[in-house]
Amino acid sequence: MIEKIIEMLSKNLFIEIKSLNRLNDNEIYIEILHNNLNKVCNFIYHSIDCSLISLFANDERDIDGNFAIYYTFSIKKAATIVVIKTKIKDPLTGIPSVSADIPAASLYEREIRDMYGIYFEGMPDDRELVFHENWPEKSFPLRKDFSSSERPPFVDRKQDFVKIGGTGVFEIPVGPVHAGIIEPGHFRFSVAGEPIINLEAKLYYVHKGIEKLSENQSFKKVLFISERISGDESFSNSLAYCLAIEKIGSLINIPERANFSRTIFCELERIYNHLGDISGICVDVGFGFASSQFAMMRRWFQMLNETLTGSRFLRSVNIPGGIRKDFIKSKESLIISEVNKLEKEFNETVAIIKNNSLFIDRVENTGVVKLLTASDLNAVGPAGRANGIEGDVRVNFPYAAYKHIKANLIIHGNGDVNCRMNVKIEEVIESIRIIKEALEIMPVDGSINESIENIEPYKYAFGLTESPRGENCHWVMSGEKNTIFRYKIRTPSFCNWPVLCHAVRGNIIPDFPLINKSFNLSYSGNDL
Amino acid sequence: MYTIIKKFIKYGVVTVDYPKKPIINPNIIGKPVIDKEKCNNCCVCIDNCPSSAMKARKEMKNKTKKEQITSIHINIDECIFCSLCADICPQKAVTMTNNFEMAEKEREQLRLSAPIIEDKILPNDDYELIGKRLKENINKYFGRSLQIREVDAGSCNGCDNEINALNGPYNDLERFGVSFVASPRHADMLLVTGPVSRNMELALIKTYNATPDPKLVVAVGACACSGGMFKDSYSTKNGIDCIVPVDIYIPGCPPRPQAIIYGILKAIERI
Repeated sequence: MIEKIIEMLSKNLFIEIKSLNRLNDNEIYIEILHNNLNKVCNFIYHSIDCSLISLFANDERDIDGNFAIYYTFSIKKAATIVVIKTKIKDPLTGIPSVSADIPAASLYEREIRDMYGIYFEGMPDDRELVFHENWPEKSFPLRKDFSSSERPPFVDRKQDFVKIGGTGVFEIPVGPVHAGIIEPGHFRFSVAGEPIINLEAKLYYVHKGIEKLSENQSFKKVLFISERISGDESFSNSLAYCLAIEKIGSLINIPERANFSRTIFCELERIYNHLGDISGICVDVGFGFASSQFAMMRRWFQMLNETLTGSRFLRSVNIPGGIRKDFIKSKESLIISEVNKLEKEFNETVAIIKNNSLFIDRVENTGVVKLLTASDLNAVGPAGRANGIEGDVRVNFPYAAYKHIKANLIIHGNGDVNCRMNVKIEEVIESIRIIKEALEIMPVDGSINESIENIEPYKYAFGLTESPRGENCHWVMSGEKNTIFRYKIRTPSFCNWPVLCHAVRGNIIPDFPLINKSFNLSYSGNDL
Repeated sequence: MYTIIKKFIKYGVVTVDYPKKPIINPNIIGKPVIDKEKCNNCCVCIDNCPSSAMKARKEMKNKTKKEQITSIHINIDECIFCSLCADICPQKAVTMTNNFEMAEKEREQLRLSAPIIEDKILPNDDYELIGKRLKENINKYFGRSLQIREVDAGSCNGCDNEINALNGPYNDLERFGVSFVASPRHADMLLVTGPVSRNMELALIKTYNATPDPKLVVAVGACACSGGMFKDSYSTKNGIDCIVPVDIYIPGCPPRPQAIIYGILKAIERI
């Protein structure tokens, strides 16, 4: 398959391609001149069935004097990642924007402009993204000449929201400190009466500079930063990082027992997150009994996590090369009994909520996303699958033990709150099946990690995992002396925030918490 | 309806009776301790600690004038409880205990080296004075009931998840007369998580000023106590005490719900 894609690309783009490399088995890196950017990206985006999964810059002036920009497309059917790389010497030159043709690129381009000061010509939306009114102009933190501990002075500038005009249209500002116990973000609703005309989410309140903090740190320390990208996705984020480091360290044979353990922990994480999400949906509908019931089940699984690993959020489990200890050993029967207990209770409670007409009335046809919107913005995870998008890293790019245990795609078509909830409900059942199967066929003994002590400088690789919220895409480039040169993190929340803003349009304000909860996006994972 | 009542009867009250009954669970990863007998000051832990919580106390010996490490200690406010030190110590001198009740009123009690609190931005010095004067009365006023406002000042959402669990069926904070409110204007206590990101500084100050006096501020988690994994970043402060005065520090990454209950009750002197 990959050979065919390489052949097709080199045949059609033989004038533009400066070099073509195949790395890490399924990553194709193509270098082009930035004048050809629009042509090449459009060709790939429109003639191959693919989506733009990441777009990032890298300050490579220490290596060859240039800034590099990587346009990352994933061809899910062929399990291949195509990376278009282009270099520019002077960031002020400006390179052509591709977001008019590839809508998902818009946020990435704004992010790169804020972090590197690289200008894109013809951006449809050229407002700032990451930094707020207090950040001085012309400070670009991800450039290598910016020190990570330097705190620029506070300034007072003005930033604009999208203005919606018309008779009776008014704005409702909400946040950053919300009424509930959630993360900070500012929402600007433009409404006429109850229905929402437009929602603009101003995020990046919890921007901590994770990508910059990771640079020049030892790769062993960055593991702990990766666990703290987003609190409840610790395991999938650290796993994505570990997969990338394992590719860089040329470690091909991860012990099978580690692979199976990782799969079990991935599914445990998915279960407790989905239970929390469903519980949250019940809270927002006002169904207290069901929400307590799901919260109780979530607690069972967090307690199970703690019994297995000592951490309720599965932290300190992964290390590059495997898992830290054999956490599963002699606890198999405990996992099976907990999982069986959950399966029974979960099915019964789901039957209760599904037979409640008031509940179904609230969730059905609420927050509908159109399929074209979802695919244009590259909706991932349950949000995408509720729209019929066949994307699941476990199926498309199998990692850990998903090569042995096939995860079934769970697809719904309507794209409303109900579908997103149903995807999550069915995924809990699917996760239970995967855990049981993994416990059955995993090797009984054997080592659980291969140590990586040194990594070669200036090598790079992707790590893709399916977190409870969707596709996680991490790109790691190693530096000298076992440090990290660049760590690009793209969590599913980054892709799904714009989808949420589209989903609420036309719905009434009181339904916003419900729609928001059906996505349950991470602010921290988006803001980094 | 019948099925719902059946479930009510089946599960009854599931709330854990903490702090009346202590939580005994060998799987909890709590406070790390160093066995001074076993430790030979090899400093492997200091080199590997991801949040640089391990510190060596150095003393100048008078005669030789050489720096010598006399002991290694752990600053609990910076610790992220990853248990890496326990794993890699060649002497096996570090052990992780099950003690999660680590909340302290003074940051100095959590560490041996004095904390470095940079440029303290206080909204108004009067607030601290009022707070100090009224501290004795706080107990009288808040002893029975307490309203809490939670502020996320840049956490990873781990601590917020655990605070959310306080409202769940197992921990049910309301049994102490403690509840979460929607506005800081209704609150007696601010529960702050995260190291204070640059964009949340103003919001935190405004929330603090909106909370009526007397008020208590609780720092939840390693980030809020010291900056944790995110300290010294261009976009964060090193803990919330750089911005607002803190009454109690709850270490942990994230602290488990019972550790937060312990901290809250300790702040209002009910433990």
